[in-house]
Amino acid sequence: MGKQITFKRESEMPMISVSLGDMEWNKTGAWRTQRPFYEEKTPPCSAACPAGNDISGFILKTAKGDWEGAWNLIREENPFPGVCGRVCFHPCESKCNRGSFDEPIAIHALERFVADFAPRLSKKTGKAGEKRKEKVAIIGSGPAGMSSAYHLARLRYDVTVFESFPLAGGMLRMGIPSYRLPRDVLDRELSNIEALGVEIRTGISLGEHLKLEDLKDYQAIFLSTGAHRSRGLHIQGEKEKGVLSGLDLLKKMNLSKRIKMGEKIAIIGGGNTAIDVARSVIRLGKKATILYRRSREEMPAFEDEILEALEEGVKIRYLVNPIRVGQKDGPKRLECLRMELSEKDESGRRRPVPIPHSNLFIDADYVVIAAGEEIGASFLPEGAEKREGIVLTRRDGSTGIKGVFAGGDLASNQRTVAHAIGSGKKAAMAIDAFLQGKDAEEVIIQHLIGEGPSLSIFGYLHPGERLRNPHVVTFEELNMDYFEPAKRQGESKSAVKERIKGFNEVSSTLSEGVALEEAERCFGCGTCNECENCYVFCPDGSILKREELFSHQVDYDYCKGCGICFTECPRGAISLKEEAK
Amino acid sequence: MRRVITGNQAVAYGVILSRVDVVSAYPITPQTTIVEELSELIASGRLKTRFLKVESEHSAMAALIGASTGGVRTFTATSSHGLAYMHEMLHWASGARLPIVLVNVNRAIGPPWNIWGDQSDSVSQRDTGWIQLYCENNQEVLDTILQAYLIAETVRLPVMVVLDAFVLSHTAEPVEIPSIEEADSLLPPFCPDYPIDTQEPRSYSVITTPDYFLEFRYKVQKAMEEVPEVAKKVDDEFRSRFGRSYGAIERYGKKEAELLLMTSGTVTSTSRIVIKKLMEKGLSVAGIKIKRFRPFPSEEICEVIQGAKKIAVIDRNLSAGVGGIFAQELRASLYSREERPQVFGFVSGLGGRDITPALIEEAVQYTVEHPQPEGDILWLGLKK
Amino acid sequence: MKKIEIPPEENLGHGHLACAGCGAAVAMRLTLKALGEKTVMVFPASCWSIVPGFWPYSSYRITAVHAGFVTGAATASGVRAALDVRGDDETLVAVWAGDGGTFDIGLQALSGAAERNEDLLYICNDNEGYMNTGTQRSSATPLLAWTTTTPVMQPKENPKKDIMAIMADHHIPYAATATIAYPEDLIRKLEKAKGIQGTRFIHLFSPCPPGWRMPSEQTIKISRLAVRSRIFPLYEIENGRTYTIQEESHVVPVKEYLKLQGRFSHLTEKDIETTQRNVDDTWERLQRRARC
Repeated sequence: MGKQITFKRESEMPMISVSLGDMEWNKTGAWRTQRPFYEEKTPPCSAACPAGNDISGFILKTAKGDWEGAWNLIREENPFPGVCGRVCFHPCESKCNRGSFDEPIAIHALERFVADFAPRLSKKTGKAGEKRKEKVAIIGSGPAGMSSAYHLARLRYDVTVFESFPLAGGMLRMGIPSYRLPRDVLDRELSNIEALGVEIRTGISLGEHLKLEDLKDYQAIFLSTGAHRSRGLHIQGEKEKGVLSGLDLLKKMNLSKRIKMGEKIAIIGGGNTAIDVARSVIRLGKKATILYRRSREEMPAFEDEILEALEEGVKIRYLVNPIRVGQKDGPKRLECLRMELSEKDESGRRRPVPIPHSNLFIDADYVVIAAGEEIGASFLPEGAEKREGIVLTRRDGSTGIKGVFAGGDLASNQRTVAHAIGSGKKAAMAIDAFLQGKDAEEVIIQHLIGEGPSLSIFGYLHPGERLRNPHVVTFEELNMDYFEPAKRQGESKSAVKERIKGFNEVSSTLSEGVALEEAERCFGCGTCNECENCYVFCPDGSILKREELFSHQVDYDYCKGCGICFTECPRGAISLKEEAK
Repeated sequence: MRRVITGNQAVAYGVILSRVDVVSAYPITPQTTIVEELSELIASGRLKTRFLKVESEHSAMAALIGASTGGVRTFTATSSHGLAYMHEMLHWASGARLPIVLVNVNRAIGPPWNIWGDQSDSVSQRDTGWIQLYCENNQEVLDTILQAYLIAETVRLPVMVVLDAFVLSHTAEPVEIPSIEEADSLLPPFCPDYPIDTQEPRSYSVITTPDYFLEFRYKVQKAMEEVPEVAKKVDDEFRSRFGRSYGAIERYGKKEAELLLMTSGTVTSTSRIVIKKLMEKGLSVAGIKIKRFRPFPSEEICEVIQGAKKIAVIDRNLSAGVGGIFAQELRASLYSREERPQVFGFVSGLGGRDITPALIEEAVQYTVEHPQPEGDILWLGLKK
Repeated sequence: MKKIEIPPEENLGHGHLACAGCGAAVAMRLTLKALGEKTVMVFPASCWSIVPGFWPYSSYRITAVHAGFVTGAATASGVRAALDVRGDDETLVAVWAGDGGTFDIGLQALSGAAERNEDLLYICNDNEGYMNTGTQRSSATPLLAWTTTTPVMQPKENPKKDIMAIMADHHIPYAATATIAYPEDLIRKLEKAKGIQGTRFIHLFSPCPPGWRMPSEQTIKISRLAVRSRIFPLYEIENGRTYTIQEESHVVPVKEYLKLQGRFSHLTEKDIETTQRNVDDTWERLQRRARC
């Protein structure tokens, strides 16, 4: 087969022009001016994930019913799918290409589903194998510290985490009310990290019980102590009794301490802490009013949270700014000024300007100030530079002190769980590079997803595996002919009157059927899901299969380069380039 | 079995005795009664043949090309415009080397409309790569059909069997009809070279470049060149079984004649009477009947014209601008010979006009009286 | 998204000579997959007399009988008759003809075969013109289209012939339209047709990148837009009577279809309106027939 046939003599030829062979010898690939090739690209969701999750990868597995595979894939990058599925602000969803078609995929709900369902099927995570001789100390057991501990343990380091509170988890435990993050979910994911051989020593605080010099046995140190100090308003009366910072109130509640606060609570601020406080207070049967100096549009708290708070009876007064906390005993009286919005400031939000002589008074039994947090710098070792309220680090997370790295809220103003998890991962990679004598910055740059800052450790842990492509798929690169509109499936929420009775989780995990349905909505941008369009539509039969299995290979002997596969790939997993002359 | 039957019935019997598998045809006068006869036979269940009653002669031949490629024995019959309409497919059949047998009942081609006999229809298909056999009587018609399949399936070329409109097609004569067993013993089942076999899929009639096209046509010519010998064998075999034979040509009359009269088809029967009469008058004259027009029997003719000074040809056809085609072919055959008798090319009987004994005598008389013809075309019976 | 169930056999081999992005090559590959190797396919003159290669080669892995331009249905009738005589009632006899070989020069033979209800699967690969000879108009060329014989100064004045209506009125057991952007539908229809006795007709619409003056990678897209714009609706007709229309949920104006093709680039807004009206009328007529 495939041979060229020639005849020298008429007598060798058959009587009629009946075919004697096939055309396989005719390598039509020579016609090609453009070359298609399989190229997995990065979906915008993954590129937007501060924790570096392989989002479409895990959703693709979910859609196939492979929940354990999905769970394992998430945990290649992030040990906290149960946490992130609940509390992450999911910037992935706002970048989801499906949003330009109908509605974005409920990525957070799927992550949560996988985290809740898969562990039931899975055996406990095994240990990472024989440990290396190097030891790493991590200060702070929040998401940054524990993410770093997790990845370092996977890199086979001997890791010890020091935590000042009696329980591990940092801000996940102290700052987030359990109606958003049930403690069993957190405990489960923390214990999975411990199962890798990570030791957590609680009740040890840096500066107080521990000095950096005490950690001479450790070849590297990661500082991830977070930002626990509440910012004040710098107004009269804010230090008085009956006034507390939002974070301190949440810590107290989360450590199950009793607080006397009366019935009417005023909360000052428009961020997530303000909302968390207000909703927690409501659950204690009290009245909560948030005072915010700008309007709803500028509120930094997550939209969903604001909505749920309003549903639950939280009052929000906009365009008011307290200038004084009055009254010594009994009910507090807040003196406020009405505000109006002028032109945009450097944050892009319209600046609030007080309206002269607009003073008004708001009465409350208790005042909570939730005006943001900053780092406590007292313990910082010498050599660790601070700037603009955070510890200054290089691109690889290293500080001015050799072998000391910093991350999480301590070293960043992007204070989200996902960012903390990402920075812990970055530290793990940088520490490994540092300890193994590699160029840490280069390692980080190599493993950025898209243009960064999203970072993947997968390729670092599995050398030889494909690195994630810097090409982030745009909506225009997808072929919408293959998708039908389908309603986004979200978690269901319990009724408001049930919610406010206590601290039970507000929303529930997706059911298996709903999760499958939602996962199937995923475009899988840049990821081949073997739909076989390329194979089906190839006029030249040049998409190779091996024993009916899809091989992701083009038969360049015959491919004429028409580009149909490129156009008809629904998800942009095939690229086309000009053929080299 | 001896029966009095028309030429068209003789055709039908020939088809039956040849155990034809697929017939495909379209009606046209004077061929129609063949189609009718076959339809009756098939409808009565006496014949297991598939009959495709197609919508045109073009499709009739196309269907046979399909069927013959499929490896079965095939037959069609037509006339005149029908044959002309088939023209493209005639080339296809020979190029694909399909041993299809076609009966053409000679009829003039219009306009003006004319349903009577002349040979313009069949002779104008002379370059299509078909063997052409002309018949003189109904017995020969039947016998020729049997022989045609044997020749066709040996050399892998299609055969056109030709008979005159009405004079044979619609005229009854006694005909000896062989039994089916006798026919079977002469004609074995068709055994195709490249039968369709989906286990071994192949493509037929694949487009061919200038690299090989010439060679395929060369093969057609080689097959044509085999015909004289094959046809002779077949004819000999036929004689040994049935006592009848026809040859490619037949010479009758005086042994060493100075003047020869060449005819084909039923004109030969009339000529036989005229020649006999003229011989009795003392004329040195003999007749040549051309049965096989393609491949043209040049050698056979040359063998029987020793000593002849003149050959009169009566053509019941016309290639306008040239003349009668048999005469033309004869001239071409003689050209390479040292002894070249004068060829007198008469054209007569177009559109079914009778070629009477008187006209034939007139032609002979003219030939005797003239040392050479006064032109390439000598019109016989023309109302001048 | 559901994976397309496509039979794995490849019955069109590599190295064939179809232009890059040839819609008909996609159609052929899919068709031969659906029909399988127990098929004799008759090919009256079309691109498919050349695409499989020159002697002594052929890319077909089925039995192929090349035939005269006029003769698709007639030659196939003969092949069918021969197989019947040989007692082979398993092998499918099919015809693959172009629109020229179907709408124009082959219509008489097709009509004859359909009226006789020959046991054939006749596939008309419609690329709306004589593409093999360099893009001349046929009676399948759409209204106002450019071809080399309908230059832009005088584009095609007449709408496309309604071959499906013609076939339906032969009362054949099955007739269906299909196109390559809907491979499952195409394969389903071919398989359905395969299971029916008598004359079956598939009107298979295949974009032709060089003839339609369109980029080769748009072949499938344009095939899909043809359906979505209703210039080529997908439907089936059983026994000339029962219509089933495969309604497309994404209906787009015909402009969306026209604007991707160079053969329509000369169209003015008024021309596009005319085309849209023609599409609407034809669609309405189809629906009327379907309701009867």
